[in-house]
Amino acid sequence: MMEDCENNPLVIGGVKLRSRFLFGTGRFPNPGVLQAALEQSGAEVITFAIRRVNLDSAQDDSILQHVTDRQLHYLPNTSGASTAEQAVRIARLSRAAGLGSWIKVEISGDPRTLLPDPIETLRAVEQLAKEGFTVLPYTSDDPLLCRRLEDAGASAIMPGGSPIGSGLGILNPYNLELIASSSKVPVIVDAGIGSPKDAAQAMELGAAGVLANTPVAKANDPVLMARAFKLAIEAGRLSWLAGRIPRKRYASASSDEAGSLYPAGGMV
Amino acid sequence: MGKKSWADFELYVITGENNHPGKQLADVMEQALAGGADILQLRNKTGSKAELLEQGKMLRELTAAYGVPFIVNDHPDLAIELSADGVHLGQEDMPIAEARRLLGNDRIIGISTHSLEQALAAERDGADYIGVGPVYPTNTKPGRPAVTTNFVADAARHVAIPFVAIGGITLGNVDEVLNAGASRICAVSAIVGSESPDEACRYFLDKINAAKALQPIALTVNGRQERLPVQTLEGLVLRLGQRHKRCVAEVDGELIPYGKWKHTELRDGMTVELVHFVGGG
Repeated sequence: MMEDCENNPLVIGGVKLRSRFLFGTGRFPNPGVLQAALEQSGAEVITFAIRRVNLDSAQDDSILQHVTDRQLHYLPNTSGASTAEQAVRIARLSRAAGLGSWIKVEISGDPRTLLPDPIETLRAVEQLAKEGFTVLPYTSDDPLLCRRLEDAGASAIMPGGSPIGSGLGILNPYNLELIASSSKVPVIVDAGIGSPKDAAQAMELGAAGVLANTPVAKANDPVLMARAFKLAIEAGRLSWLAGRIPRKRYASASSDEAGSLYPAGGMV
Repeated sequence: MGKKSWADFELYVITGENNHPGKQLADVMEQALAGGADILQLRNKTGSKAELLEQGKMLRELTAAYGVPFIVNDHPDLAIELSADGVHLGQEDMPIAEARRLLGNDRIIGISTHSLEQALAAERDGADYIGVGPVYPTNTKPGRPAVTTNFVADAARHVAIPFVAIGGITLGNVDEVLNAGASRICAVSAIVGSESPDEACRYFLDKINAAKALQPIALTVNGRQERLPVQTLEGLVLRLGQRHKRCVAEVDGELIPYGKWKHTELRDGMTVELVHFVGGG
């Protein structure tokens, strides 16, 4: 794994990353657990959202106070936006905070599924790329849409495995493999991951990384789960590099038949 | 001295002999009164009882001549003996209820507070006014962490009894304290340690009155209607007690970089958004 990190790191917007785990910071039981889980995850990229400050409280509930002592890359999202214009506004606000110019475009038009709006997402990516952002769009797993997003200037493509927070895993491995194998920018599987098994599967399909939040934060033991995800993503990556065997319809014995004490002769 | 008018005080001055070596206490305090100080406290943590009594008698006469309330720090018994108008307690001194039993309802009881919880407790316990501070680090009370203007803003929003901002306040930073919502200021070294305490008092009062003359404007802040006497975006954030949060501001849809907050004037009817980062995936 070390060798892979050194020789073939994940590069997003010119930044080399040793970890292929992108860490979501929402819904942790408390900041202490969040910090410990982040530590265990080995992640170098964290995501967060932008919200109005609570004017009724002097207490600072910002996420940054808990993580600014680390070497991290920040990936704010545009959650809450339902149009390209709203996403662009949120992106500009977040860049003004001075934490770099990465932005995860997340535009949902449907509160029940939170599935991304493809047209608005494409429009936002075009505009934000023009404005110099490093744009990582959360998108549906449509291979042609992903290509269009790449052409529009996305620095990475983030297709969802299934709806955000659903834990349903990867519903369309065929599409994901197609996207991973045909994209020139990194493909990060984002959303719907339920457990490390799904993360490993995404990596085996050729994804360059995995973004997970809810399956870590809402696990019984988020700190342990963060480590499980780290290992699964590494295992999946190694598996993809190693090249898995093709699927066959029938058995294929692990030892040569020659010299068998009971030569197969079929039914006697 | 009736209790009705005392609560309108604006400039509270406390003795601090260390700040004026070579000058007489009586001279310095008379100058402060001449400059417009409208409430005066004797604080002497190191002097003997006899010294306190002597200084107290002198200040009682002086304040009476100027028609200004006279407050004694820490010692209700001394306040009674000196016919002072009231006493000022610290958090570690006797409880307000006990001081009230000793002093009755006609004397003023004030108490220092260092958090909103303490402020609200003092209000519940029957304090007549509270001190809010130290706003800035101060040599008068070394080692006590500054509460910043956020506590001033909180007090302005939540405390009903008179509160006076105190601690490290100078002519250089008093505007910030007033912007945060204080309408009464207490200074020690900036006045009694000044070359001319009367002039320092006049400058302080000018600033306090200028802040009071500000008309409130109607703003929509994070979707909520507010009427606040603020002039700039920086003043608004100060006034809302949000200055310590690392936030990003937008005024009428335009992003305002932090460096421009001070120069961004707010007008009636404007819409302000203050946002920051929270956990998310």
